[in-house]
Amino acid sequence: MTKVTSLTIAVIACALFAGTAESQTLDARRLGMGGVVTSDVGDFSGSNIAFRAVPKGAGGTGSIPLPLGLIQYLSDHPVYDSKDSLFNIYKIANVLLNPPLTIQLVKPKEVSGDISIFIAQDSLKVDLADVKRVIPENSMKQGGVMHLFGIHRNFGKGFVQIGSLVHLRNELTLSNQLRDALRDARPFTSNTRYGLTDEGRAQAAIAFQVGYAARALYRAPAKESSTDPRQNRATALYLGAAPKYLLGLAYGDARGEGGVTTGDTLFASSNPVTIDMDSQTRNSGIGGSGGLGSGIGSDLGAVLYWNNFELGLGLNDFGSQIKWNVTRRRHLYDDVTNQFTTTVVAKDEKYTSRIPVTTTINVAKRIGRTTLAADLVDGDLRTTMHAGAELWFGMWAVRSGIYRDQNQMAQFAGGGGYRFGKLGLDLAIATNSRNISRERGAELSASLSLY
Amino acid sequence: MRRLIPFALLFPLLAGCGNRNLILTVDILSFLNPSSKVVSYNIPVPAPSDTVEVFSDSLNLLQGVSDVTRAVAASMDIAASFDNTSGAATGSFLIYIASADSSSPFTTTPIANVPFTLLAGQVTNVSTHVDASASLAEALTHDKAQVGLRVIFNGTAFPIQGTETLTQLTATVIMKKDL
Repeated sequence: MTKVTSLTIAVIACALFAGTAESQTLDARRLGMGGVVTSDVGDFSGSNIAFRAVPKGAGGTGSIPLPLGLIQYLSDHPVYDSKDSLFNIYKIANVLLNPPLTIQLVKPKEVSGDISIFIAQDSLKVDLADVKRVIPENSMKQGGVMHLFGIHRNFGKGFVQIGSLVHLRNELTLSNQLRDALRDARPFTSNTRYGLTDEGRAQAAIAFQVGYAARALYRAPAKESSTDPRQNRATALYLGAAPKYLLGLAYGDARGEGGVTTGDTLFASSNPVTIDMDSQTRNSGIGGSGGLGSGIGSDLGAVLYWNNFELGLGLNDFGSQIKWNVTRRRHLYDDVTNQFTTTVVAKDEKYTSRIPVTTTINVAKRIGRTTLAADLVDGDLRTTMHAGAELWFGMWAVRSGIYRDQNQMAQFAGGGGYRFGKLGLDLAIATNSRNISRERGAELSASLSLY
Repeated sequence: MRRLIPFALLFPLLAGCGNRNLILTVDILSFLNPSSKVVSYNIPVPAPSDTVEVFSDSLNLLQGVSDVTRAVAASMDIAASFDNTSGAATGSFLIYIASADSSSPFTTTPIANVPFTLLAGQVTNVSTHVDASASLAEALTHDKAQVGLRVIFNGTAFPIQGTETLTQLTATVIMKKDL
């Protein structure tokens, strides 16, 4: 595997996964503050459309990531050839979950180890060793809503934007019996069903959006020192709204469950288990049956300033839905004939899919050159919280923060920066659990801030 | 194929582990009929190398394992107990194992040869650990395997009478993914 190929895989991983809400924060300023978002820290992805109307303040207006992690990746990347003895799919999964744009200071322990299976006529015990760490206590959830590759143009307080939208979601749930057998190496027992359920959904659309964000209320302070409501003690309310038309490109979902039920004795006969599998799928897409979808949605936002206190509420993809003509199929496994049968249950059936709303609530307080901030982000699969602080000493900034991540783990961050006029260099060190075994690692992120 | 399905779930997990092993331990004794585990012997008069075939049986093993894995090592632990009521003898306790397509396990070379000495009115326990048998590895990674046990007596006092009880027959195969 050449370095060019490895780099290509890394770039694809970055493109696909770095845009999700809970993936890496490449803005080192924001990461140093625990990933918190405010109207002038880290909101370059548009978590609150009302922020567009707030005057530019002392904080940054943009960020340019410095992908130093690619250097580390090129010198130490996973083997992608499955024939290679060093091939490890968990290392590759970690590249996808944690695109190599930041330097990994502390890597999670590699998933490896020998798998042991003990078999007797009425006993089966499986010890997956390190692989047990991959199996979560609850269901495995992956996915998110990604807004990729958009272009926009501002017209005063309004704007138009065209961008792509991808929504992915998968939830795999093991039955308690199967989870105990695989995660805790409990012996398989007779007359027991070991099952799993999987629900997956993927949809893609092009969003054509028109938006407007403006100041709805402004009460000037007794002594107006600047136009920045974050700092001048004014009372101000900014509102934004951006309806969008969604041209659905493709939709697919699947819900399946299956399992094996053991008999009176685990290995008494040549067919010691009864197998059941049943799944339903729906799909539609460009160039296929059902064709394109059509829908509407919106992004809404509001932010209030009072006495240098900021309270924001952003709703992205609020009410977003796409109408499709789907083909619905049922796939059933017959244990007697040992065959799958697929039945078309409905064709061109009307179906409306929803894009889950992402809600961002943020609070911030500016005291002189100090910013204290916190936010709560509620998305499709998870709710995360961030809190952080930034203190400026001349041109130097010191930052620290804490956040609860997608795995409900507390993570810690800190960093610093130096401002050179309109440009700043920021570094941050933060912990995270963006890996397949959900263990804590640490990364170093670097970026340039635009002031 | 159906039996493989629940266990096939494990092989992608193995595939992810890089240069690691799947250690398969099979308690063969548990698959045997109870009558195969205990055999009475009676050798009334001298006979050179008198042979008692304890059992020959066919076992159902993990189907399809050989499709996705490659056996790199195998071992077996065997133990038996002789409750010798009369007579005396030296002898050999022989273990045979072969894949199901063999006509008989006794046509192959024994994978273990455990010597023993029997005295009247005594219980003699024998055990051994067999390492690195290629035939064992190959047989255990197929759908079915045949197992045979044979005891050869060289009597010194007659009649030789008693019972032989097989107390342990465990095979361990170390496999690597071969996807």
